[in-house]
Amino acid sequence: MPQVTVQLPSILGRIIDESRAIPIEADSLGGALRALVDRHPALGVHLFDETGNLRQHVLCFHNQTNTRWLDSIEAPLAKGDTITILQAVSGG
Amino acid sequence: MGVLVIVGTDKGAFLLRSDTARAHWKIQGPLFKGWKVTTVARDDSGRYFVATASDVYGQALHVSEDLDNWRQIENGPAWAKDTERKLNQIWTLNLQTNRFYAGVDEAGLFASEDGGESWSPINGLNEHPTRGSWYPGAGGLCAHAVLTDAKNPKRIWCGISAVGVFRSDDGGLTWEIKNQGIPMLIEDKKHKEIGRCVHGLVADPDDADTIYRQEHTGMFRTRDGGETWQRIENGLDSSFGFPIAIDRTSKTLYIIPLESDEYRIPIDGRFRVYHSANGGDAWDPLSNGLPQENAYMGVLRDALAVDHLDPCGVYVGTTAGTVHVSNDAGDSWTQVSCILPRILSVSVYVQE
Repeated sequence: MPQVTVQLPSILGRIIDESRAIPIEADSLGGALRALVDRHPALGVHLFDETGNLRQHVLCFHNQTNTRWLDSIEAPLAKGDTITILQAVSGG
Repeated sequence: MGVLVIVGTDKGAFLLRSDTARAHWKIQGPLFKGWKVTTVARDDSGRYFVATASDVYGQALHVSEDLDNWRQIENGPAWAKDTERKLNQIWTLNLQTNRFYAGVDEAGLFASEDGGESWSPINGLNEHPTRGSWYPGAGGLCAHAVLTDAKNPKRIWCGISAVGVFRSDDGGLTWEIKNQGIPMLIEDKKHKEIGRCVHGLVADPDDADTIYRQEHTGMFRTRDGGETWQRIENGLDSSFGFPIAIDRTSKTLYIIPLESDEYRIPIDGRFRVYHSANGGDAWDPLSNGLPQENAYMGVLRDALAVDHLDPCGVYVGTTAGTVHVSNDAGDSWTQVSCILPRILSVSVYVQE
């Protein structure tokens, strides 16, 4: 499986007391997120809501692509890809 | 021996430490920087539990033995998917018996039988026949107060806004509404017995049947475990407010009235705590050292605490981020030298 990097915002990185850049091996975007939560179960409640979907104001980028625009969360990954978790910020 | 005050704010928790003179305070923090710290409690073994919440990243419960090393509890309170409810925050933790309780928004009660490691819904309350008629108050649909009876752990009280007070006599299996004597605020077509907006609850530490209730519509007391409630407002210039606390030793009650549900600010900009030394029969204002002009902050329901020392220390955190401390049962007050984010919760612990 290709190795990718999951980038977390600092507020979540402190929860798991680890680097904000986490190497993960996974075939798909969804697989990478599942592997991330398997390794760090504490992140599950912060990324996903009660329906199992990403929380409404959590953004997830696959390289430069907002994953909300993807047809499927099971998009394939390539070695060296970056998955970035961000807080949706709108307005001030 | 020292005193530790944990102040939960919109942006993290702050630790205020002093010796028992409670005159000088050292401030540490923020812990959980960026998170709302909605409530804090300590169990009998000395472990601290902190509930956090975020509009973006949801809520969680954390535990620590030393206030330095924290661990997020993986199986904290959570609504099952089929309930179609969201768990927005933990409002209150009651760790006073072997069975821990957490009151949450969206309203419900959860319990832990294993020291807080896993939590299960109390379905007798959460799926109460009146549930479909529960409506949120301004602070949301939240179970924010849980009382237990030290002499009979099967007796539990839970306050839900804007629904009312429920009591279980069988360890949480079944619940009865205990609102008799409390004016209705939101009238439901079918369930006339709910629609009350309880803001704060405390019980006499030696008599669980005597409960004081800061209600949206006034101050009330029961002496029969909630069967009937009577107004206790003598001396108050407003009976609207949120927090209520009781000193275990002197039984003195403390509340913080605000001007009406419409305005919710100190009357005439005078920030005053009221106390009652006779079980709520009469109330008197405390103002020595509190801001008495141009003070328009509020105090949220979990932001008033007492330390049970003699004389009792009283601690108030405001929506303006100020912390006000009395080391003489409220006779005089000082403001701690800090201005914090909006304060959600204040709890105090005497440390050996």
